[in-house]
Amino acid sequence: MRLERIVLANFRNFSSLEYQASSGLNLFLGANAQGKTNLLEALAMLGTGKSFRTTSEGELIRHEIPVASVSGEARVRAGTVSVSCVIAKGPRGITKRYTLNGSAVRYAGYLGNLRVVAFVPSDLSLVDGPPSGRRRFLNEALAQDDPTYYHALARYRKTLAQKAALLRGSVTSDEELLAIYDAALIEHGTKLMMARAQFVRDVARYAGEVHARWTGGAERLEVRYRPDAACEVITADAIGSALAERLRSRAAAERLREAPLVGPQRDDLDLLLDGSSLGSFGSQGQRRTAVLALKVAEYQVMRDRCGEAPLLLLDDVLSELDATRAGAFLSGLGEIEQGFITATSLPPGIGPMRSIEIVAGQLRENG
Amino acid sequence: MSGTLAQPVAALINEFSKLPTIGPKTAARLVFHLLNRPRHEAQALADAIMAMKDKVRFCTSCFSLTENDPCAICSDDRRDAQTFCVVAEAKDIFAIERADIYRGRYHVLCGLISPMDGVGPADLRVKELLERIGRERPTEIIIATNPNAEGEATAMYLSRLLTPLGPRITRLASGLPIGGDLDYADEVTIARALEGRRTMDH
Repeated sequence: MRLERIVLANFRNFSSLEYQASSGLNLFLGANAQGKTNLLEALAMLGTGKSFRTTSEGELIRHEIPVASVSGEARVRAGTVSVSCVIAKGPRGITKRYTLNGSAVRYAGYLGNLRVVAFVPSDLSLVDGPPSGRRRFLNEALAQDDPTYYHALARYRKTLAQKAALLRGSVTSDEELLAIYDAALIEHGTKLMMARAQFVRDVARYAGEVHARWTGGAERLEVRYRPDAACEVITADAIGSALAERLRSRAAAERLREAPLVGPQRDDLDLLLDGSSLGSFGSQGQRRTAVLALKVAEYQVMRDRCGEAPLLLLDDVLSELDATRAGAFLSGLGEIEQGFITATSLPPGIGPMRSIEIVAGQLRENG
Repeated sequence: MSGTLAQPVAALINEFSKLPTIGPKTAARLVFHLLNRPRHEAQALADAIMAMKDKVRFCTSCFSLTENDPCAICSDDRRDAQTFCVVAEAKDIFAIERADIYRGRYHVLCGLISPMDGVGPADLRVKELLERIGRERPTEIIIATNPNAEGEATAMYLSRLLTPLGPRITRLASGLPIGGDLDYADEVTIARALEGRRTMDH
Protein backbone atom coordinates (compact mmCIF):
# COMPACT_ATOMS: atom_id res chain seq x y z
CA MET A 1 0.00 0.00 0.00
CA ARG A 2 1.13 3.53 -0.62
CA LEU A 3 0.17 6.66 1.24
CA GLU A 4 -0.26 9.54 -1.18
CA ARG A 5 -1.11 12.38 1.13
CA ILE A 6 -1.39 13.12 4.82
CA VAL A 7 -3.10 16.22 6.19
CA LEU A 8 -2.87 17.35 9.82
CA ALA A 9 -4.82 20.11 11.48
CA ASN A 10 -4.07 21.39 14.96
CA PHE A 11 -2.25 18.14 15.76
CA ARG A 12 0.48 18.46 18.45
CA ASN A 13 2.86 21.17 17.18
CA PHE A 14 1.46 21.22 13.62
CA SER A 15 -1.15 23.93 13.15
CA SER A 16 -1.68 22.68 9.64
CA LEU A 17 0.35 20.43 7.45
CA GLU A 18 -0.07 18.74 4.15
CA TYR A 19 2.50 16.30 2.88
CA GLN A 20 2.53 14.52 -0.49
CA ALA A 21 4.32 11.28 0.24
CA SER A 22 6.60 9.61 -2.26
CA SER A 23 6.99 5.90 -2.73
CA GLY A 24 10.09 4.28 -1.30
CA LEU A 25 11.69 5.96 1.69
CA ASN A 26 10.57 9.37 2.97
CA LEU A 27 13.26 10.82 5.18
CA PHE A 28 12.52 13.54 7.74
CA LEU A 29 15.46 15.32 9.32
CA GLY A 30 15.36 17.81 12.14
CA ALA A 31 16.75 18.76 15.51
CA ASN A 32 15.02 17.46 18.64
CA ALA A 33 11.58 18.82 19.61
CA GLN A 34 10.69 20.08 16.12
CA GLY A 35 7.88 17.57 15.50
CA LYS A 36 9.51 14.52 13.88
CA THR A 37 7.97 11.99 16.25
CA ASN A 38 4.66 13.89 16.15
CA LEU A 39 4.50 13.34 12.41
CA LEU A 40 5.26 9.65 12.79
CA GLU A 41 2.66 9.39 15.53
CA ALA A 42 0.08 10.89 13.14
CA LEU A 43 1.09 8.44 10.41
CA ALA A 44 0.64 5.54 12.83
CA MET A 45 -2.82 6.84 13.76
CA LEU A 46 -3.90 6.41 10.15
CA GLY A 47 -3.53 2.68 10.71
CA THR A 48 -4.22 2.10 14.38
CA GLY A 49 -6.46 5.07 15.25
CA LYS A 50 -4.56 5.70 18.45
CA SER A 51 -1.32 7.18 19.66
CA PHE A 52 1.74 5.01 20.16
CA ARG A 53 3.03 7.42 22.79
CA THR A 54 0.23 8.40 25.08
CA THR A 55 -3.10 7.31 26.43
CA SER A 56 -4.12 10.86 27.40
CA GLU A 57 -5.20 11.87 23.95
CA GLY A 58 -5.91 15.47 24.95
CA GLU A 59 -2.16 15.95 24.43
CA LEU A 60 -2.69 15.44 20.70
CA ILE A 61 -4.69 18.63 20.41
CA ARG A 62 -2.56 21.70 19.78
CA HIS A 63 -3.87 24.80 21.46
CA GLU A 64 -7.14 26.23 22.69
CA ILE A 65 -8.93 25.17 19.50
CA PRO A 66 -10.45 21.95 20.83
CA VAL A 67 -10.29 19.81 17.68
CA ALA A 68 -7.38 18.07 15.97
CA SER A 69 -7.49 15.88 12.91
CA VAL A 70 -5.35 13.46 10.93
CA SER A 71 -6.40 12.37 7.46
CA GLY A 72 -4.74 10.39 4.75
CA GLU A 73 -5.31 9.12 1.26
CA ALA A 74 -3.69 5.96 0.10
CA ARG A 75 -3.53 3.64 -2.82
CA VAL A 76 -4.12 0.02 -1.83
CA ARG A 77 -4.48 -3.11 -3.92
CA ALA A 78 -8.25 -2.72 -4.01
CA GLY A 79 -8.14 0.91 -5.15
CA THR A 80 -7.92 4.14 -3.21
CA VAL A 81 -8.91 4.62 0.38
CA SER A 82 -9.20 7.74 2.52
CA VAL A 83 -9.33 7.68 6.30
CA SER A 84 -9.53 10.36 8.92
CA CYS A 85 -9.51 10.56 12.66
CA VAL A 86 -10.83 13.61 14.51
CA ILE A 87 -9.93 14.13 18.16
CA ALA A 88 -12.15 16.60 20.00
CA LYS A 89 -12.11 17.94 23.52
CA GLY A 90 -15.62 18.45 24.87
CA PRO A 91 -17.31 19.03 28.22
CA ARG A 92 -17.50 15.26 28.66
CA GLY A 93 -13.85 14.56 27.86
CA ILE A 94 -12.00 13.49 24.73
CA THR A 95 -13.95 11.95 21.89
CA LYS A 96 -12.63 10.49 18.66
CA ARG A 97 -14.53 10.15 15.41
CA TYR A 98 -13.41 8.06 12.49
CA THR A 99 -14.30 8.24 8.83
CA LEU A 100 -13.57 5.85 6.00
CA ASN A 101 -13.98 7.17 2.45
CA GLY A 102 -15.99 10.08 3.77
CA SER A 103 -18.49 8.12 5.88
CA ALA A 104 -18.44 7.88 9.64
CA VAL A 105 -17.37 4.45 10.87
CA ARG A 106 -16.81 2.85 14.23
CA TYR A 107 -13.30 2.20 15.46
CA ALA A 108 -13.51 -1.44 14.39
CA GLY A 109 -14.38 -0.34 10.85
CA TYR A 110 -11.47 2.12 10.76
CA LEU A 111 -8.77 -0.18 12.04
CA GLY A 112 -6.56 -1.88 9.52
CA ASN A 113 -7.65 -0.11 6.32
CA LEU A 114 -4.13 1.24 6.25
CA ARG A 115 -1.66 -1.00 8.02
CA VAL A 116 1.42 0.30 9.71
CA VAL A 117 4.42 -1.26 11.39
CA ALA A 118 6.03 1.31 13.65
CA PHE A 119 9.44 0.93 15.21
CA VAL A 120 10.22 3.46 17.91
CA PRO A 121 13.17 3.66 20.34
CA SER A 122 11.09 2.32 23.24
CA ASP A 123 10.58 -0.92 21.28
CA LEU A 124 14.16 -1.78 22.21
CA SER A 125 12.70 -2.78 25.58
CA LEU A 126 10.72 -5.61 23.95
CA VAL A 127 13.45 -8.00 25.06
CA ASP A 128 14.19 -6.85 28.59
CA GLY A 129 11.08 -4.83 29.44
CA PRO A 130 7.92 -6.05 31.20
CA PRO A 131 5.56 -8.59 29.57
CA SER A 132 2.92 -5.89 28.99
CA GLY A 133 5.09 -4.43 26.20
CA ARG A 134 5.27 -7.80 24.48
CA ARG A 135 1.49 -8.24 24.74
CA ARG A 136 1.03 -4.77 23.26
CA PHE A 137 3.30 -5.83 20.38
CA LEU A 138 0.95 -8.76 19.72
CA ASN A 139 -2.27 -6.78 20.17
CA GLU A 140 -1.29 -3.90 17.92
CA ALA A 141 -0.31 -6.15 15.03
CA LEU A 142 -3.27 -8.50 15.40
CA ALA A 143 -5.92 -5.80 15.82
CA GLN A 144 -4.84 -4.25 12.51
CA ASP A 145 -4.74 -7.64 10.86
CA ASP A 146 -8.15 -8.87 11.98
CA PRO A 147 -11.07 -6.72 13.20
CA THR A 148 -12.60 -9.73 14.95
CA TYR A 149 -9.43 -9.91 17.07
CA TYR A 150 -10.00 -6.35 18.18
CA HIS A 151 -13.64 -7.15 18.97
CA ALA A 152 -12.65 -10.20 21.03
CA LEU A 153 -10.01 -8.13 22.85
CA ALA A 154 -12.48 -5.36 23.71
CA ARG A 155 -15.06 -7.90 24.93
CA TYR A 156 -12.44 -9.81 26.87
CA ARG A 157 -11.21 -6.71 28.69
CA LYS A 158 -14.72 -5.57 29.50
CA THR A 159 -15.65 -8.98 30.85
CA LEU A 160 -12.44 -9.17 32.86
CA ALA A 161 -13.20 -5.79 34.45
CA GLN A 162 -16.71 -7.01 35.33
CA LYS A 163 -15.33 -10.19 36.86
CA ALA A 164 -12.74 -8.17 38.81
CA ALA A 165 -15.50 -5.95 40.19
CA LEU A 166 -17.54 -9.01 41.15
CA LEU A 167 -14.57 -10.63 42.93
CA ARG A 168 -13.88 -7.38 44.79
CA GLY A 169 -17.44 -7.58 46.05
CA SER A 170 -18.94 -4.46 44.42
CA VAL A 171 -22.20 -6.39 44.20
CA THR A 172 -23.46 -9.41 46.12
CA SER A 173 -21.28 -12.31 45.08
CA ASP A 174 -23.05 -14.81 42.93
CA GLU A 175 -21.69 -18.17 41.73
CA GLU A 176 -23.93 -18.20 38.65
CA LEU A 177 -22.72 -14.79 37.57
CA LEU A 178 -19.08 -15.72 38.09
CA ALA A 179 -19.60 -18.80 35.90
CA ILE A 180 -21.11 -16.61 33.16
CA TYR A 181 -18.16 -14.25 33.17
CA ASP A 182 -15.77 -17.22 33.09
CA ALA A 183 -17.65 -18.66 30.09
CA ALA A 184 -17.35 -15.32 28.25
CA LEU A 185 -13.64 -15.09 29.18
CA ILE A 186 -13.10 -18.57 27.74
CA GLU A 187 -14.98 -17.70 24.55
CA HIS A 188 -13.11 -14.45 23.82
CA GLY A 189 -9.84 -15.53 25.45
CA THR A 190 -9.64 -18.61 23.22
CA LYS A 191 -9.90 -16.40 20.19
CA LEU A 192 -7.09 -14.14 21.43
CA MET A 193 -4.80 -17.02 22.36
CA MET A 194 -5.42 -18.84 19.11
CA ALA A 195 -4.58 -15.73 17.05
CA ARG A 196 -1.51 -15.01 19.18
CA ALA A 197 -0.23 -18.57 18.86
CA GLN A 198 -0.54 -18.50 15.07
CA PHE A 199 1.01 -15.03 14.81
CA VAL A 200 3.98 -15.92 17.01
CA ARG A 201 4.53 -19.13 15.03
CA ASP A 202 4.82 -17.04 11.83
CA VAL A 203 6.92 -14.31 13.47
CA ALA A 204 9.26 -16.91 14.98
CA ARG A 205 10.00 -18.42 11.59
CA TYR A 206 10.93 -15.09 9.94
CA ALA A 207 12.81 -13.81 13.00
CA GLY A 208 14.84 -17.02 13.21
CA GLU A 209 15.71 -16.87 9.50
CA VAL A 210 16.81 -13.25 9.39
CA HIS A 211 18.70 -13.59 12.66
CA ALA A 212 20.61 -16.61 11.37
CA ARG A 213 21.51 -14.67 8.24
CA TRP A 214 22.81 -11.73 10.26
CA THR A 215 24.88 -13.82 12.63
CA GLY A 216 26.12 -16.14 9.91
CA GLY A 217 24.31 -19.00 11.65
CA ALA A 218 26.48 -18.62 14.77
CA GLU A 219 23.53 -17.94 17.06
CA ARG A 220 19.98 -19.24 17.05
CA LEU A 221 17.06 -16.95 17.98
CA GLU A 222 13.84 -18.57 19.13
CA VAL A 223 10.59 -16.74 19.75
CA ARG A 224 8.02 -18.70 21.70
CA TYR A 225 4.52 -17.87 22.76
CA ARG A 226 4.06 -18.53 26.46
CA PRO A 227 0.30 -18.54 27.06
CA ASP A 228 -1.00 -18.36 30.60
CA ALA A 229 -2.84 -21.62 29.92
CA ALA A 230 -0.44 -23.84 28.00
CA CYS A 231 -1.59 -26.56 25.66
CA GLU A 232 0.01 -28.95 23.19
CA VAL A 233 -1.82 -28.15 19.98
CA ILE A 234 -3.16 -24.91 18.52
CA THR A 235 -6.83 -25.64 18.06
CA ALA A 236 -9.76 -23.71 19.47
CA ASP A 237 -10.94 -26.77 21.40
CA ALA A 238 -7.55 -27.46 22.98
CA ILE A 239 -6.99 -23.82 23.96
CA GLY A 240 -10.55 -23.46 25.25
CA SER A 241 -10.28 -26.50 27.50
CA ALA A 242 -6.80 -25.53 28.74
CA LEU A 243 -8.15 -22.11 29.70
CA ALA A 244 -11.24 -23.60 31.34
CA GLU A 245 -9.07 -26.04 33.31
CA ARG A 246 -6.80 -23.27 34.51
CA LEU A 247 -9.76 -21.12 35.57
CA ARG A 248 -11.08 -24.10 37.54
CA SER A 249 -7.78 -24.79 39.25
CA ARG A 250 -7.29 -21.14 40.26
CA ALA A 251 -10.90 -20.39 41.20
CA ALA A 252 -10.28 -20.63 44.94
CA ALA A 253 -7.18 -18.43 44.73
CA GLU A 254 -9.08 -15.84 42.68
CA ARG A 255 -11.75 -15.64 45.38
CA LEU A 256 -9.16 -15.40 48.13
CA ARG A 257 -7.17 -12.68 46.39
CA GLU A 258 -10.35 -10.99 45.10
CA ALA A 259 -8.84 -10.58 41.63
CA PRO A 260 -8.76 -12.49 38.33
CA LEU A 261 -5.51 -14.45 38.10
CA VAL A 262 -5.90 -16.39 34.86
CA GLY A 263 -5.99 -15.65 31.15
CA PRO A 264 -4.34 -14.03 28.14
CA GLN A 265 -3.81 -10.79 30.09
CA ARG A 266 -0.92 -12.77 31.62
CA ASP A 267 0.54 -14.15 28.38
CA ASP A 268 4.15 -13.51 27.47
CA LEU A 269 6.72 -14.19 24.78
CA ASP A 270 9.94 -16.05 25.46
CA LEU A 271 12.94 -14.78 23.52
CA LEU A 272 15.75 -17.29 23.62
CA LEU A 273 19.24 -17.18 22.22
CA ASP A 274 20.72 -20.67 21.85
CA GLY A 275 18.22 -21.80 24.45
CA SER A 276 18.92 -19.14 27.11
CA SER A 277 16.72 -16.22 27.94
CA LEU A 278 17.89 -13.10 26.13
CA GLY A 279 16.39 -10.81 28.74
CA SER A 280 18.54 -12.36 31.46
CA PHE A 281 21.71 -13.41 29.65
CA GLY A 282 21.98 -11.52 26.36
CA SER A 283 24.50 -8.74 25.82
CA GLN A 284 23.29 -5.28 24.83
CA GLY A 285 24.21 -6.00 21.20
CA GLN A 286 22.50 -9.40 21.19
CA ARG A 287 19.29 -7.94 22.58
CA ARG A 288 19.29 -5.17 20.02
CA THR A 289 19.80 -7.62 17.15
CA ALA A 290 16.91 -9.73 18.46
CA VAL A 291 14.54 -6.72 18.54
CA LEU A 292 15.51 -5.83 14.97
CA ALA A 293 14.79 -9.42 13.92
CA LEU A 294 11.43 -9.29 15.69
CA LYS A 295 10.47 -6.08 13.89
CA VAL A 296 11.59 -7.39 10.50
CA ALA A 297 9.48 -10.49 11.17
CA GLU A 298 6.44 -8.42 12.15
CA TYR A 299 6.77 -6.50 8.88
CA GLN A 300 7.05 -9.69 6.85
CA VAL A 301 4.12 -11.39 8.55
CA MET A 302 1.92 -8.31 8.07
CA ARG A 303 2.92 -8.25 4.42
CA ASP A 304 2.11 -11.96 3.96
CA ARG A 305 -1.22 -11.64 5.68
CA CYS A 306 -2.63 -8.66 3.86
CA GLY A 307 -0.98 -9.43 0.54
CA GLU A 308 0.78 -6.06 0.32
CA ALA A 309 3.43 -4.29 2.33
CA PRO A 310 2.30 -2.17 5.30
CA LEU A 311 3.64 1.36 5.79
CA LEU A 312 6.95 1.20 7.62
CA LEU A 313 7.53 3.88 10.27
CA LEU A 314 10.97 4.21 11.84
CA ASP A 315 11.28 6.85 14.53
CA ASP A 316 14.91 7.71 15.13
CA VAL A 317 15.89 4.06 15.52
CA LEU A 318 18.47 3.84 12.77
CA SER A 319 20.55 6.55 14.45
CA GLU A 320 20.92 4.26 17.43
CA LEU A 321 22.51 1.55 15.30
CA ASP A 322 25.93 1.25 13.74
CA ALA A 323 26.12 1.30 9.94
CA THR A 324 26.40 -2.49 9.66
CA ARG A 325 23.34 -3.20 11.79
CA ALA A 326 21.30 -0.43 10.15
CA GLY A 327 22.15 -1.72 6.68
CA ALA A 328 21.39 -5.31 7.68
CA PHE A 329 18.07 -4.24 9.18
CA LEU A 330 16.96 -2.38 6.07
CA SER A 331 17.98 -5.18 3.74
CA GLY A 332 16.27 -7.70 6.04
CA LEU A 333 12.99 -5.95 5.38
CA GLY A 334 13.27 -6.78 1.69
CA GLU A 335 11.74 -4.41 -0.79
CA ILE A 336 10.11 -1.58 1.13
CA GLU A 337 7.16 -0.25 -0.78
CA GLN A 338 6.98 2.84 1.37
CA GLY A 339 8.68 3.91 4.55
CA PHE A 340 8.85 7.01 6.74
CA ILE A 341 12.06 7.58 8.65
CA THR A 342 12.98 10.31 11.11
CA ALA A 343 16.48 11.17 12.25
CA THR A 344 18.53 14.11 13.44
CA SER A 345 21.01 13.61 10.60
CA LEU A 346 21.35 11.22 7.68
CA PRO A 347 21.16 7.86 9.45
CA PRO A 348 23.59 5.02 8.85
CA GLY A 349 22.54 2.46 6.27
CA ILE A 350 20.93 5.00 3.94
CA GLY A 351 22.73 6.56 1.01
CA PRO A 352 22.33 10.26 0.20
CA MET A 353 18.71 10.94 -0.70
CA ARG A 354 16.08 13.63 -0.91
CA SER A 355 14.95 14.60 2.59
CA ILE A 356 12.42 16.84 4.26
CA GLU A 357 13.49 19.11 7.05
CA ILE A 358 11.17 19.62 10.01
CA VAL A 359 11.59 22.91 11.85
CA ALA A 360 9.09 24.01 14.50
CA GLY A 361 6.13 22.19 12.96
CA GLN A 362 6.91 23.23 9.37
CA LEU A 363 8.21 21.08 6.54
CA ARG A 364 10.94 22.22 4.18
CA GLU A 365 12.07 20.34 1.10
CA ASN A 366 15.83 19.81 0.98
CA GLY A 367 15.91 18.88 -2.72
CA MET B 1 -20.98 33.74 27.69
CA SER B 2 -23.47 33.45 30.56
CA GLY B 3 -22.42 36.87 31.89
CA THR B 4 -23.84 38.69 28.90
CA LEU B 5 -27.08 36.68 28.73
CA ALA B 6 -30.21 37.41 30.75
CA GLN B 7 -30.09 35.06 33.74
CA PRO B 8 -33.28 33.08 32.88
CA VAL B 9 -31.92 32.41 29.38
CA ALA B 10 -28.59 31.23 30.74
CA ALA B 11 -30.37 29.07 33.32
CA LEU B 12 -32.47 27.31 30.67
CA ILE B 13 -29.44 26.76 28.43
CA ASN B 14 -27.71 25.18 31.39
CA GLU B 15 -30.70 22.87 32.07
CA PHE B 16 -30.98 21.77 28.44
CA SER B 17 -27.28 21.04 28.15
CA LYS B 18 -27.59 18.46 30.95
CA LEU B 19 -29.75 16.30 28.64
CA PRO B 20 -28.16 13.41 26.72
CA THR B 21 -26.79 14.23 23.24
CA ILE B 22 -27.33 17.97 23.83
CA GLY B 23 -24.25 20.19 24.08
CA PRO B 24 -24.14 23.88 24.94
CA LYS B 25 -24.60 24.97 21.31
CA THR B 26 -27.71 22.88 20.70
CA ALA B 27 -29.04 23.98 24.09
CA ALA B 28 -28.66 27.65 23.08
CA ARG B 29 -30.43 26.96 19.78
CA LEU B 30 -33.38 25.37 21.55
CA VAL B 31 -33.64 28.25 24.01
CA PHE B 32 -33.54 30.95 21.34
CA HIS B 33 -36.13 29.01 19.36
CA LEU B 34 -38.44 28.92 22.38
CA LEU B 35 -37.90 32.64 23.01
CA ASN B 36 -39.38 33.36 19.60
CA ARG B 37 -42.41 31.09 20.03
CA PRO B 38 -45.73 32.18 21.54
CA ARG B 39 -46.25 31.82 25.28
CA HIS B 40 -48.76 28.96 25.03
CA GLU B 41 -46.24 26.72 23.26
CA ALA B 42 -43.71 27.17 26.04
CA GLN B 43 -46.49 26.52 28.55
CA ALA B 44 -47.47 23.31 26.74
CA LEU B 45 -43.87 22.09 26.90
CA ALA B 46 -43.55 22.94 30.59
CA ASP B 47 -46.89 21.27 31.36
CA ALA B 48 -45.97 18.15 29.41
CA ILE B 49 -42.73 17.79 31.32
CA MET B 50 -44.41 18.21 34.71
CA ALA B 51 -47.31 15.91 33.79
CA MET B 52 -44.81 13.26 32.78
CA LYS B 53 -43.08 13.54 36.17
CA ASP B 54 -46.31 13.68 38.21
CA LYS B 55 -48.46 11.09 36.48
CA VAL B 56 -46.06 8.47 35.16
CA ARG B 57 -45.08 5.57 37.39
CA PHE B 58 -43.88 2.00 37.13
CA CYS B 59 -46.40 -0.69 36.23
CA THR B 60 -46.39 -2.99 39.27
CA SER B 61 -46.57 -6.03 37.02
CA CYS B 62 -44.01 -5.42 34.22
CA PHE B 63 -42.19 -2.25 35.47
CA SER B 64 -42.83 -0.39 32.27
CA LEU B 65 -43.74 3.30 32.56
CA THR B 66 -47.45 3.96 32.69
CA GLU B 67 -50.12 6.40 33.74
CA ASN B 68 -52.51 3.67 34.85
CA ASP B 69 -51.40 0.67 36.86
CA PRO B 70 -51.36 -2.02 35.48
CA CYS B 71 -50.15 -0.61 32.17
CA ALA B 72 -52.04 -0.73 28.87
CA ILE B 73 -50.10 -3.79 27.70
CA CYS B 74 -50.51 -5.79 30.93
CA SER B 75 -54.25 -5.04 31.04
CA ASP B 76 -54.87 -5.85 27.35
CA ASP B 77 -56.63 -9.25 27.29
CA ARG B 78 -56.05 -9.65 23.56
CA ARG B 79 -52.30 -9.94 24.16
CA ASP B 80 -50.72 -13.33 24.76
CA ALA B 81 -50.19 -13.69 28.50
CA GLN B 82 -48.10 -16.84 27.97
CA THR B 83 -45.13 -15.02 26.41
CA PHE B 84 -42.86 -12.53 28.17
CA CYS B 85 -40.31 -10.36 26.44
CA VAL B 86 -37.59 -9.28 28.86
CA VAL B 87 -36.00 -5.89 28.10
CA ALA B 88 -33.46 -3.70 29.88
CA GLU B 89 -35.34 -0.40 29.79
CA ALA B 90 -38.88 0.80 29.20
CA LYS B 91 -37.73 2.57 26.04
CA ASP B 92 -36.91 -0.82 24.50
CA ILE B 93 -40.64 -1.65 24.64
CA PHE B 94 -41.35 1.26 22.34
CA ALA B 95 -38.70 0.04 19.89
CA ILE B 96 -40.25 -3.44 19.78
CA GLU B 97 -43.84 -2.14 19.64
CA ARG B 98 -42.91 -0.02 16.62
CA ALA B 99 -42.39 -3.24 14.66
CA ASP B 100 -46.04 -4.10 15.44
CA ILE B 101 -45.47 -7.85 15.39
CA TYR B 102 -45.02 -8.94 19.01
CA ARG B 103 -48.28 -9.74 20.79
CA GLY B 104 -47.07 -10.91 24.17
CA ARG B 105 -46.29 -9.17 27.43
CA TYR B 106 -43.10 -7.48 28.63
CA HIS B 107 -40.91 -7.38 31.69
CA VAL B 108 -38.53 -4.46 32.24
CA LEU B 109 -35.34 -5.24 34.21
CA CYS B 110 -34.58 -1.53 34.80
CA GLY B 111 -30.90 -1.96 33.88
CA LEU B 112 -28.30 -4.61 33.03
CA ILE B 113 -25.90 -6.53 35.22
CA SER B 114 -22.62 -4.61 35.55
CA PRO B 115 -20.57 -5.12 38.73
CA MET B 116 -18.21 -2.34 37.55
CA ASP B 117 -21.09 0.08 37.97
CA GLY B 118 -22.26 -1.58 41.16
CA VAL B 119 -25.25 -3.23 39.49
CA GLY B 120 -25.82 -6.88 40.37
CA PRO B 121 -28.85 -9.13 39.79
CA ALA B 122 -30.33 -7.98 43.11
CA ASP B 123 -30.46 -4.39 41.81
CA LEU B 124 -32.66 -5.38 38.86
CA ARG B 125 -36.29 -6.53 38.69
CA VAL B 126 -35.19 -10.17 38.61
CA LYS B 127 -36.91 -11.23 41.84
CA GLU B 128 -40.15 -9.73 40.50
CA LEU B 129 -39.69 -11.65 37.24
CA LEU B 130 -39.31 -14.92 39.15
CA GLU B 131 -42.46 -14.19 41.18
CA ARG B 132 -44.33 -13.32 38.02
CA ILE B 133 -43.26 -16.56 36.32
CA GLY B 134 -44.49 -18.52 39.37
CA ARG B 135 -47.81 -16.69 39.27
CA GLU B 136 -48.54 -16.37 35.54
CA ARG B 137 -46.81 -19.53 34.22
CA PRO B 138 -45.62 -18.29 30.81
CA THR B 139 -44.57 -20.85 28.18
CA GLU B 140 -41.89 -18.72 26.52
CA ILE B 141 -39.54 -16.00 27.69
CA ILE B 142 -37.78 -13.96 25.01
CA ILE B 143 -34.65 -12.24 26.26
CA ALA B 144 -34.27 -9.01 24.29
CA THR B 145 -31.28 -7.31 25.93
CA ASN B 146 -28.78 -5.55 23.64
CA PRO B 147 -26.02 -7.70 22.08
CA ASN B 148 -23.25 -5.83 23.96
CA ALA B 149 -21.12 -7.22 26.78
CA GLU B 150 -23.58 -6.36 29.60
CA GLY B 151 -26.62 -7.40 27.58
CA GLU B 152 -25.09 -10.78 26.75
CA ALA B 153 -24.02 -11.44 30.34
CA THR B 154 -27.48 -10.53 31.62
CA ALA B 155 -29.10 -12.78 29.00
CA MET B 156 -26.85 -15.70 30.00
CA TYR B 157 -27.61 -15.14 33.66
CA LEU B 158 -31.37 -15.09 33.11
CA SER B 159 -31.24 -18.12 30.86
CA ARG B 160 -29.47 -20.19 33.54
CA LEU B 161 -31.81 -18.91 36.21
CA LEU B 162 -35.07 -19.36 34.31
CA THR B 163 -34.53 -22.59 32.36
CA PRO B 164 -35.16 -24.83 35.41
CA LEU B 165 -38.52 -23.13 35.93
CA GLY B 166 -39.94 -24.67 32.77
CA PRO B 167 -40.61 -22.03 30.11
CA ARG B 168 -38.78 -22.07 26.79
CA ILE B 169 -36.03 -19.42 26.91
CA THR B 170 -35.18 -17.68 23.63
CA ARG B 171 -32.84 -14.87 22.67
CA LEU B 172 -33.28 -12.28 19.91
CA ALA B 173 -31.19 -13.16 16.83
CA SER B 174 -28.14 -11.12 15.78
CA GLY B 175 -27.08 -10.71 12.19
CA LEU B 176 -27.36 -8.76 8.98
CA PRO B 177 -29.62 -5.70 8.88
CA ILE B 178 -32.51 -5.92 6.46
CA GLY B 179 -31.95 -3.84 3.32
CA GLY B 180 -28.22 -3.73 4.06
CA ASP B 181 -25.47 -4.91 1.77
CA LEU B 182 -23.31 -7.85 2.72
CA ASP B 183 -20.17 -5.99 1.67
CA TYR B 184 -20.95 -3.11 4.02
CA ALA B 185 -21.47 -5.30 7.07
CA ASP B 186 -18.55 -5.42 9.49
CA GLU B 187 -16.68 -8.67 10.10
CA VAL B 188 -18.10 -9.21 13.56
CA THR B 189 -21.69 -8.91 12.33
CA ILE B 190 -21.00 -11.31 9.48
CA ALA B 191 -19.40 -13.80 11.85
CA ARG B 192 -22.49 -13.64 14.09
CA ALA B 193 -24.82 -13.96 11.11
CA LEU B 194 -22.98 -17.10 10.01
CA GLU B 195 -23.17 -18.62 13.50
CA GLY B 196 -26.90 -17.90 13.60
CA ARG B 197 -27.69 -19.14 10.09
CA ARG B 198 -30.80 -21.24 9.67
CA THR B 199 -32.23 -23.82 7.31
CA MET B 200 -34.54 -22.32 4.72
CA ASP B 201 -38.04 -23.72 4.73
CA HIS B 202 -40.32 -23.38 1.76
